[in-house]
Amino acid sequence: MISPDVHHLFHHPIADHSFSADRQTLAVARDNNVELYSRSGNKFSLQDELKGHDKTVTSVDIAPSTGRIVTCSQDRNAYVWEPSPSGWKPTLVLLRINRAATFVRWSPSEKKFAVGSGARVIAVCYFEEENDWWVSKHLKKPIRSTITTVAWHPNSVLLAAGSTDAHARVFSSFIKGVDARPESSVWGERLPFNTVCGEFLNNSAGWVHGCAFSPSGNALAFTAHDSSITVVYPSGPDEPPTAVVSLSTQLLPFLSLIWNGESEIIAAGYDCEIYRLRGNEQGWQIVGSMESKGRPGLEEMREESALNMFRQMDLKGKSKDDTQLKTVHQNTIATIRTYDEAGGTVRKFSSSGVDGRVVIWST
Amino acid sequence: MNWRTINVDLFDPESPANFDISSLLPSIPSVSASEVQTLSSQIKQLLRGGDSEGALRGALENAPYGGDAQAKDVHLATVVETLQSIKQSDMSPMLSRMYGSEGGPETLDVLMKYLYKGMAHTSQPSSGRSSMTPQATGGFSQIQSRGGGEGGGQAMSVLLSWHEKLVEIAGAGSIVRVMTDRRTV
Repeated sequence: MISPDVHHLFHHPIADHSFSADRQTLAVARDNNVELYSRSGNKFSLQDELKGHDKTVTSVDIAPSTGRIVTCSQDRNAYVWEPSPSGWKPTLVLLRINRAATFVRWSPSEKKFAVGSGARVIAVCYFEEENDWWVSKHLKKPIRSTITTVAWHPNSVLLAAGSTDAHARVFSSFIKGVDARPESSVWGERLPFNTVCGEFLNNSAGWVHGCAFSPSGNALAFTAHDSSITVVYPSGPDEPPTAVVSLSTQLLPFLSLIWNGESEIIAAGYDCEIYRLRGNEQGWQIVGSMESKGRPGLEEMREESALNMFRQMDLKGKSKDDTQLKTVHQNTIATIRTYDEAGGTVRKFSSSGVDGRVVIWST
Repeated sequence: MNWRTINVDLFDPESPANFDISSLLPSIPSVSASEVQTLSSQIKQLLRGGDSEGALRGALENAPYGGDAQAKDVHLATVVETLQSIKQSDMSPMLSRMYGSEGGPETLDVLMKYLYKGMAHTSQPSSGRSSMTPQATGGFSQIQSRGGGEGGGQAMSVLLSWHEKLVEIAGAGSIVRVMTDRRTV
C-alpha cells in the first residue's frame, strides 16, 4: 500500500475542504475565512484567502468544471466566488434563512447547489439570469431539525439530506427551467419540487452526520451518531425499500462517508481513523482500517536506546512519548472526499479534520 | 424590556418548541406494570433453574421501553439481580456468545443501558429512593436492601466489572448508543 500523502496545513480545525478539478488548488475552511492553497511540488502553499463571512465558515465546495467556489457560514450567508482579473469576486446568495448555514454542495450539473441550515430548511439555489442573482427555493417539509449534511444524486434532481431529527431523507429539488426532466428511477417517477422520495430512521434514532448516494444513485448510505451506518436499497416509488441494512459498530461515530463502487464504503469520524466497509443488500461488514500498521513513524519509536529510555523517564516520568495517536490524523476526521476516481471506482480520496491536516489516501 | 431575553421560538408557529418530538420517533408499544411483573417472575424462575444466560437474554430482549417509571424500575431490579447472580469468570464468555448471536449487538446495547441506569440508582442516597418507588415490589426490595452503605458499593462493583467486560466486547460504540438512543430503560 502506498503511504498516505499528509499535508499539515496549520494547527486549527478544518471544517471542510475541497480540491479543484485539476487537484492543483485546495480550499479549506478555517475560522471565518476560506484559504486557498496551491500545489507546488509535493507541498501546498497558501495562495489566497476568501474573506467575506463574519462567522465560522462551515462548508466549502469547488465546482469541478466551472471552477466556481461556494461557501456557507454560521453568519447565515452563502457566497459564490468567481475568479476575476482583480481576484476572487463574491456574489451573495439569497438564502432567506434565519439560522446558521451548515453544509453546501454543488449539484453534479453545477447549475444548482444545496445549502443545509439550522432553520430546518434546505435552500436549493440557482442562478436567475434576468436578475443576475443567485436565488433559492426552500425544501421545508417534513424537516423538523437542523440539516447536518446533504448529498446529490448523479441526476442533479434528487437530494439526500441528514438531519438532527435522526432522519435521512431523499427529496426532489427539481427546478423548472434549470433542470431537465429526470428519468424515472427507483426513487420515483414524477418528481415535482419537494417530493419526499424516502424517509429513513435508524433503530436508536441517532442524529445523522453524513450521507451519500452510491455511484449508480440506486442506494443511499448514511451514518449517524449512534455509531451506525445504514444502507437503504429502494425498490420503487411508493413501495417499501427492498432492504435497509443497519450496521451498529463497536467504534465511535463516523462523520463522513463515500462510496467506492456499489459494494464498498469508506467512512471516518471520531475514531481519527478511516475504515473500509463492504457489503450488499444482504448485509454490511467493516473490513478494516485504512491505516497501514508498519508506517516509518511507528518503527522509530520502538528502536530507542536504553540511555534514551532512562533519560525520558528522568525528564518526563515515563519512558515512552505517548502524546501522539498511532493514526495519521491526530484528531477527529470531519470530511472525506473523492480525489481521483474513474467510473465510480475510487483510486484516491482525501480527508481533513480537527487536527488541521489534509491527507490524500490511495485505496 | 430586554429584547435579548425574548424567546423568539414561541412566536414562530413552525418552531420546534411548538412541535411534539415523539411523532418523529418510531412508536413504542406501551407496557403495563403487571406484564413487567410477570416477566420478572419468569426470569427469576429461569435463574433458579440455573439458566442465567437465558434469564439475562430474556430480560434484555423484553426491555419495557413503553412502561412507566415504576415498571422500568421493576425491570431494572430484575436485570441487576440477574447480573449479580452471574460469576465473574462467566461474564466474558457469555457476552461473547451473546454478541455473536442473532441480534446480539442490540441486546448488549440494552445491557449497557441497564448498567448505566443501575449505577445511577445505586449511587443515589437511599432516602431519595423511597419516593421513587412508593410500593416496594418483590424484585425491587432486593436492591433496596443493597442501597446505601456497603451493599450499594457491592452492587456498584458488580456493575463496574460488567461494564469493563462489555466495553471489551461491544466497544465504545455501545456507550455512544446509550447516549443517543431515545428508547430509554
